[in-house]
Amino acid sequence: MKRALSLTKDRKKIQELMLNSLAHRRKLLNLGHDPTIRLHYGATLSAVEILTALYMLWMNINPKDPSWNDRDRFILSKGHAAPSLYITLSMLGFFPEDEFQNFRRLNSKLQGHPDRHKTPGVDCSSGSLGQGFPVACGMALGAIIDDASYKVYTLISDGECNEGSTWEAALIASNLKIDKLILLLDWNKKSSYGTMKGRNDIEPLAEKWQAFGWRVFKCDGHDFISLTQALAQAESVRDQPSIILCNTIKGKGLPYAEKHHTSSNFALTEEQYQEAITHLDALEKQIEDEPS
Amino acid sequence: MNLANKDITTAYGEALVEVGEAYPNVVVLDADLADSCKTESFHKTFPERAFDLGVAEQSLPTIAAGLALVGKIPFYNSFAVFSVSRGVDMIRQSVVYNQANVKIVGHGAGQSIGYTGPSHHTVEDISILRALPGLVILSPCDAVETQQMVWEMAAYDGPMYLRLVRATVPNVHKPDYQFEIGKTERLLEGSDISIYVTGDLVTLALELHAVLREEGISAQVVNVPTIKPLAKEQITRHGELTSGAITIEDHNIYGGLGSAVAEIYAESLLKPLARLGIPDTFTESDDAMILRIAYGINIDNAISKARSIISSV
Repeated sequence: MKRALSLTKDRKKIQELMLNSLAHRRKLLNLGHDPTIRLHYGATLSAVEILTALYMLWMNINPKDPSWNDRDRFILSKGHAAPSLYITLSMLGFFPEDEFQNFRRLNSKLQGHPDRHKTPGVDCSSGSLGQGFPVACGMALGAIIDDASYKVYTLISDGECNEGSTWEAALIASNLKIDKLILLLDWNKKSSYGTMKGRNDIEPLAEKWQAFGWRVFKCDGHDFISLTQALAQAESVRDQPSIILCNTIKGKGLPYAEKHHTSSNFALTEEQYQEAITHLDALEKQIEDEPS
Repeated sequence: MNLANKDITTAYGEALVEVGEAYPNVVVLDADLADSCKTESFHKTFPERAFDLGVAEQSLPTIAAGLALVGKIPFYNSFAVFSVSRGVDMIRQSVVYNQANVKIVGHGAGQSIGYTGPSHHTVEDISILRALPGLVILSPCDAVETQQMVWEMAAYDGPMYLRLVRATVPNVHKPDYQFEIGKTERLLEGSDISIYVTGDLVTLALELHAVLREEGISAQVVNVPTIKPLAKEQITRHGELTSGAITIEDHNIYGGLGSAVAEIYAESLLKPLARLGIPDTFTESDDAMILRIAYGINIDNAISKARSIISSV
């Protein structure tokens, strides 16, 4: 369904997506409820609604046929958010949930970063930052050559805007008028080691992308109405690539991570886990109590 | 042997257009060097599937990987130093780890674009790429083999590197030659020493064979057009016929053809081997042939190494 959601017409759908996002966050916290597992909570939790909107609403995909030729493609350029991609794919039935028992272990379908040969539904291996986006440009260029019906979506981090390869690809996509590509930026204003402002500053970001020849849209990356409005606008652009700057909160839903400014990647303490579960329980009750 | 001289880059450009006719999925990428890489004919013939990305060489592997992942057969072109070294991580992560059907083409490899100097010489590409699992490395010795390789590359599903020197060289192959991926080719038989060679230096190996014959030394000459996967069984069989070997390549002696053949000699044959190549140094500007002589890839050094191998056994 490629149309913007409306609060009046789609209240039930929005509620369902919000509950899915909460379930996603719970799965992520439960995955990390093990002192030996360090996860990028900051980077995964900020991308939950973006992945949920793309996979559970927007993109044309078929979990029963992950290689379907006309499917929309997605590349997680910020590959360190792999656990969130895996949870999304698992929730959609690309593979059974018990695969997480072997997460990041030998013979697992779930590597530390996405691997297209191992995980059903992953269109491109990623992990080295600044590469998934240019690969997505190549895919979209292929779609243009073939006049294909599918589009290519890719999610980058704001930290990836420190990579020179990102800006090479930005110029190429603009010069080649790659309009079958929609780039989403998880604009949480932090990279792995802390806030970007005053350190690895990339602002003014919207103006930079505009200057590189892109159509720039902004949205609330945790709000399904705002996200789908931006996606609908981006879909309509012709002869120019589009980027959606998704305003997000790093570590959204994990109170400790939301407040923590210096690290994205850590092992959860029992106290942090319990605090987050209590927080998610309250949010879930709030959503369920709303009239649908 | 057909000794007509032909420029390897021109041969590549001609074959690319023919392959483009036969394979509608072949796409060509350049980075502002379509003239030097002789891909202009492809751009003119198939403008809808030829793209110049500008001076953005680290985007060649990634854009090509994306094209390959949606079913295209991209051949991307630049000087070898930029096709390979500029985007090594992109080749590793986006091309080879993805097992994307990308054809990396490195032009002017070795010291063959001599006057441009060491910034543009590529004497470490084989060494770098040999460590990437599943990447096929091809190095043709003449125009006929170059054109055969372009056809084989389009037919083969998987990442490949084509190492082209910029040189006008005699064709040691007849037009009906059939190149096969992963096979060596014994050009001349011999019973005392084996000469393994890749690229246009095949002519030096043939000269060495003739000079050694005058000295009563019988040398077999083996062309190695596929450096990876290396024909281990074939080389072992060749090696069993002689008492030692020398290798010849326009590449750093560390990690190239010489190292690859030496692995087989050390692990299976237990016979002496000497490498002729560029010592571990950055080169300089000059004519490519003068540079080869200066850095030891010359007939005198080859004879000396061959004699020392013969006298050691």
